[in-house]
Amino acid sequence: MTATLDLADIQGNIPRAYGRYSFPFARYFFLNIADAAKGRAFVDAVRRQVTTAARWPENAQKPACTVNIAFTFMGLLKLELPTRTLQGMPDEFIEGMKARAFILGDRDVTKTAEQDADWDRHWDPIWRRNRVGGDDSDNVHIWISLNAQLKQLGLAEPVDALEEKTEWLRDLCAASDGGVRILSGIGRDGTQDFQAASAVFDDFDGQKLPTAMEHLGFADGIGDPVFEGQLRPSEMATAVIGRGKREDGEWKPLAAGEFLLGHSDESQELPPTAMPPEFMKNGSFMAFRKLHENVATFDEVLEEETSRYGSVMGVSATEARETLRAKMCGRWKDGVPLATVPTYPEWQDFRKDRGFDDPNPAKALENQLKFIRSTEASDFRYADDMEGFKCPVGAHLRRMSTRDYLDPLNKIGTDPKTGKPYKNAAATSQLNKRRRILRRGLPYGPSNLEQKSDETEQGVAMMLVCASLFRQFEFVQQHWIQYGLDFHQGNNTCPLLGDHSHHKRHTIPSDPVSEKPPYVMSKLKTFVECRGGDYFFIPSLTALRMIAMGVVDPT
Amino acid sequence: MPDLDTGHIFLTTLAPIKPYTKSDKSPTSFEQKVRVALAKLPTALQSPATVNAPRNSPFARNKRNHLARMFVLSDVVYNGRVGQNPIVGTIKGEDPIDPQKVDRLTTPYLVFCADIDAITKDGDPLPTSLSPAQQKEVRAAYARELWQTMESELRAIYSNCVGFDEVDSADRFAAYLDKCHVETTMPFHDYYLKLPRFHDLPFKGLIAAVAVPAVIAILALAARILGCLTVPVLGWSTLWTAVAAAAVTGLSFLLAVRFALANGARPLAPGEFDDLPSVLKALYVQQKFSDFFVEQQGASADDLYREFGAFLERTRLGDRSGPTQEPGVIRSP
Repeated sequence: MTATLDLADIQGNIPRAYGRYSFPFARYFFLNIADAAKGRAFVDAVRRQVTTAARWPENAQKPACTVNIAFTFMGLLKLELPTRTLQGMPDEFIEGMKARAFILGDRDVTKTAEQDADWDRHWDPIWRRNRVGGDDSDNVHIWISLNAQLKQLGLAEPVDALEEKTEWLRDLCAASDGGVRILSGIGRDGTQDFQAASAVFDDFDGQKLPTAMEHLGFADGIGDPVFEGQLRPSEMATAVIGRGKREDGEWKPLAAGEFLLGHSDESQELPPTAMPPEFMKNGSFMAFRKLHENVATFDEVLEEETSRYGSVMGVSATEARETLRAKMCGRWKDGVPLATVPTYPEWQDFRKDRGFDDPNPAKALENQLKFIRSTEASDFRYADDMEGFKCPVGAHLRRMSTRDYLDPLNKIGTDPKTGKPYKNAAATSQLNKRRRILRRGLPYGPSNLEQKSDETEQGVAMMLVCASLFRQFEFVQQHWIQYGLDFHQGNNTCPLLGDHSHHKRHTIPSDPVSEKPPYVMSKLKTFVECRGGDYFFIPSLTALRMIAMGVVDPT
Repeated sequence: MPDLDTGHIFLTTLAPIKPYTKSDKSPTSFEQKVRVALAKLPTALQSPATVNAPRNSPFARNKRNHLARMFVLSDVVYNGRVGQNPIVGTIKGEDPIDPQKVDRLTTPYLVFCADIDAITKDGDPLPTSLSPAQQKEVRAAYARELWQTMESELRAIYSNCVGFDEVDSADRFAAYLDKCHVETTMPFHDYYLKLPRFHDLPFKGLIAAVAVPAVIAILALAARILGCLTVPVLGWSTLWTAVAAAAVTGLSFLLAVRFALANGARPLAPGEFDDLPSVLKALYVQQKFSDFFVEQQGASADDLYREFGAFLERTRLGDRSGPTQEPGVIRSP
């Protein structure tokens, strides 16, 4: 049965990745509540501005700048929610992200807590000070995000509304008379009081246009899951291809309950809920993670592997570099999936066909963005490539969403009838559909792809939204990113996101037809490292009103 | 014989823990003492907290057990009242207010489970089948090996159990453990390189063996009821044919059930390279070979040939005694 969602009750950042809806700028604020009553008054003021998921333009006007709000467990405690409600919250949310560092791979798993007491030394000061016990004045209680549209096409500048909303937020805090305070301590030096983020822009003779790139130079944010009720019925039929679940050879949207509380999920159950049920319904959970990218290290390691790969495989440096990048990610840098375009020559032809190399760079970008937004960019599967000859089994993309790879009935090897790998046409995504996560957020750092080092500030401000942080986010982070057994990769971690302080390998199988040996990248270093974050609850508009009134549980 | 499968013994033993009596001076119960002894037992060196520990698990001192586990079973878990259809209950005259019997253990038990190679001497090949007496000998050989390698730990644990006071030698410990032995009903095996031939049940044959005489009995009975007194051509009495066929049906049903049970109890043959020394050697070679592969990428054919020869010499693939991975550690040095 198709779910109908009360979109006007759901916060807009759950069903919408704002970046794709032409909001290339964001500011993320983290606030502390000193006084419960003033905190509730603050929530009351903010909730009137909150951007809901109501559809543009038929049900609501598209704002120039969106507003969304979420709370940590410490925030809900500070706002004096009833004990019964707080007790019903999931354990991992109560503990917060820091306490889960061992599971998430943010802490060295070969060391005990005593041996690694200072494990978060590279985190931003705001997150280092968060949840250290005792003093509550440094704890992060509230997350507020502002997402802004472009001021003018061709300029890498946000609309004025972003600054106006920032001022409005500062004024609200000032008016609370110390009751609510914007925390500073963001960035390496800890001087900023909000986390700025923006799409990476490309420059075309002075015309600056937003791209889908992040700072390591990969097109990002392509295959986000699609769930029932998220999109207009007219959009759903195409959007679901490659982004939903695969059953009986067809793509279908995921159950709304995988991302929204109070709705049935893929196990056909209601996710556990805190009392009263209205408080959690239409809400969701979110992990905020500031993921720093060590661009210089990445480039260095890639160069070293490039020369070795080039000589082993007998290909040019350019082909070696691009192939290695693609084999690590699972897509070529422009977002073309390896599963459909597996080799470098094919990719070059594909680019030519699609006009990605158009002499007019703006036109080339437009063609690329058109491809990324088409079903083609997501319409692929892995069960027809069980051994990873096209897309390595341990590649980033295959780890993040395993699609139909984990169906236990899949056959591995060569089909004697065709002489090719088994197609496994009936494979389903049963073991994948309960681990999907909505990725929200934008790159941060300079808004261009100019020279960067490990020390400069760049990366992705990630918000990972799902109904259960434990079952979805933490599982993927622990088992699929920081460990490789489901992919027959032993302890090898994700080549892009994994911690490579101990396990430095990534295997790239070769189709035996090519008569080339497999290649093992063996000198990986940690390219992406967490710089802090926490777990948040994103309430519905109903729940925000309940919090603001201080009457969450009237019984 | 579910204890034996794929050349392994899946050992389960339950030793009753002593009851506390007024002559016991210590304020600690024996159940608690067993728990203390178990808590003091060093674990294998396989987690960040233990990897540099000075002492390895005592079970790592032999090369027969793949897995060993000890725990205290205080009692069985009460699952609540047995549900019943209220109409059936009313007819039987059962009052739902009357308390039902609650199952309890009479004493807590120390449970010891191990998955071991079914051999009596290190280096023996894994057997396909063993008689009950041979299985008993395998268990005894393992018990003696434990006594010789971890007597002090065993004493610390088992001295809190009923009937252990007399145990002072490897043979007596073997006899003691045998008294505690219970049959395993659910073995688990995880080393298959390729699946063995399972003992599939010949369903069609078994059904035919029961169904053919049954059909004959029904037809003969039907013929008799319809007034046909003899079987055409053969001239036998239809009544006696029906009786005889019914008897054959019953007998073949019983035989089919016995055959199915015996078929299920037959152990599977051991998998290839299933013994612990082979498993440890495989772990060792796997680690060393992946290092070798990475180091040799791009090497010329001559270099590769030479280096691989050196690799084979270094790792001695056919020699399970060494170099190999030590038991109870997470990786080879």
